[in-house]
Amino acid sequence: MITFTRHPSSFKDPSGFVFESGGRICRQVNQYYAAEYRQLMESGLYKHLTDNNLLISHQELPENLTNTAEWYTTLIPEPVSQISYPYEWCFEQLRDAALLTLSVLRTSLQFGMILKDATPYNIQFNRGKAVFIDTLSFDKYNAQQPWIAYRQFCQCFLFPLYMEYYLKTDIQKILSTYLDGIPVDFIAKLLPLKSRLSLGVWLHVYLQQTAAASAKAPNNKTGKQAMQFSKKKLLDLTGHLTNIIKNFPEGRSYKTTWSNYYEDTILSKAYLQEKEKIVRAYCGDSTARSVLDLGANDGHFSKVFAGNNMQVIATDADSRCISRLYQEVKKNNIQNLLPLILDIANPSPAIGFHNQERAAFHDRIKTDLVAALALVHHLVIGKNISLPALAGYFNDIAPELIIEFVPKEDEKVKQMLSTRPDTFIDYDQAHFEAYFSVYFDMLAQTPVPGTSRILYRMKRK
Amino acid sequence: MIHSCILLYIDPGSGSYLIQAIIAAILGALFYFKNVWWKIKAFFFKPKKEDAEEEDIAK
Repeated sequence: MITFTRHPSSFKDPSGFVFESGGRICRQVNQYYAAEYRQLMESGLYKHLTDNNLLISHQELPENLTNTAEWYTTLIPEPVSQISYPYEWCFEQLRDAALLTLSVLRTSLQFGMILKDATPYNIQFNRGKAVFIDTLSFDKYNAQQPWIAYRQFCQCFLFPLYMEYYLKTDIQKILSTYLDGIPVDFIAKLLPLKSRLSLGVWLHVYLQQTAAASAKAPNNKTGKQAMQFSKKKLLDLTGHLTNIIKNFPEGRSYKTTWSNYYEDTILSKAYLQEKEKIVRAYCGDSTARSVLDLGANDGHFSKVFAGNNMQVIATDADSRCISRLYQEVKKNNIQNLLPLILDIANPSPAIGFHNQERAAFHDRIKTDLVAALALVHHLVIGKNISLPALAGYFNDIAPELIIEFVPKEDEKVKQMLSTRPDTFIDYDQAHFEAYFSVYFDMLAQTPVPGTSRILYRMKRK
Repeated sequence: MIHSCILLYIDPGSGSYLIQAIIAAILGALFYFKNVWWKIKAFFFKPKKEDAEEEDIAK
């Protein structure tokens, strides 16, 4: 008998659901959605979208793997290497996901279909590009009806982008709190006065807020039967949204602590070259196919790993670093490098319904190798995470580990300690090796020439 | 029971119907006046070769 596990996030749509069976991720289409699914496949929309890499392709498997009465067909989608969520994306990633959603919507209209929802969770980054993954989001288009997902689109895409654009602050933590997007009341209170000069903000935020407030009032006549809509109106509306989002500038200029780390700090080119030689040698000795690069900064070493044909997830807590790296990945079409925002001291938790809808970062992202280069001192001295706690953390996430120890004699550490009392009595090479040896076998240990820093390659016991 | 679940799923944005109608009407009016303006301009000045593509009225 075939067993299956329904994906915990796939419970909202009666059209079907995602499940795992025999190590494969599958999507069941229910009878309820049969007509729409046939239209998607037979109208030429599916072919058009997949040919243009806008929608994930799938194989149809006419086998009822779940043994459920509502089964219509089973889809085996092309596997996506790693699943990431909008609260791990930088501004430009969310912007591209928004533009993809609008592009899929406008293409669907040409084929007599429309998107019935508009959430960033329908999008993943695969082979360096955003791709739409929810094959069951397409509905029959009724030209008299407006877009049912307009408000959801605003809440999940437009409002977060407006917030980051006008407030010049990271919005990832806010997005992980508001899973259904930022409510209009909330953003209307936060946006600065000057934003009211923008037609887009005025229409989509303030006017919508006013309408939402009046819709809540009793006996109002705002029923959907009260107005007529048309395809031209819908194209005007979605065209306007596309223009707003396209006009958000890429690579905004405000500077953060880490955005020019390698240029501004004491870290010289010679140091980077020497370290690169060692990392390349370690890569040559490793059989790992996937890497999680923690504290990747500008992605210098992530690109070294990617150059070794490894699937790389490059993470940093600083959104500007991830933003720059993402734009470079896009420009150079690096298909095996996914930049994501991650604060190691507070990684994405398990959230949503039953705390299972969206898995925690380290339960979701599994790699053969973890790289922590020039990171340990920031975690121990900057974040007060003790060395034994850090060793335990790496034991949980890293089958193989490339890690750099930066001792107290290092200029950078001296700088960090100059502004605070040195309470790190066990922060030295001997203790570092002792703590990590509890969990790991040391495969290699190489001092970086010209510095007091040491690189290690370790394997979990 | 099943049908009420379905409605809950597909009807999350119906509150936005009115606002979409208003926004679409405003945008339609803006596009209309823009077209009129282009025609007036074209009457008084020699029209340029390249198509006057829809200019962004965004933001």
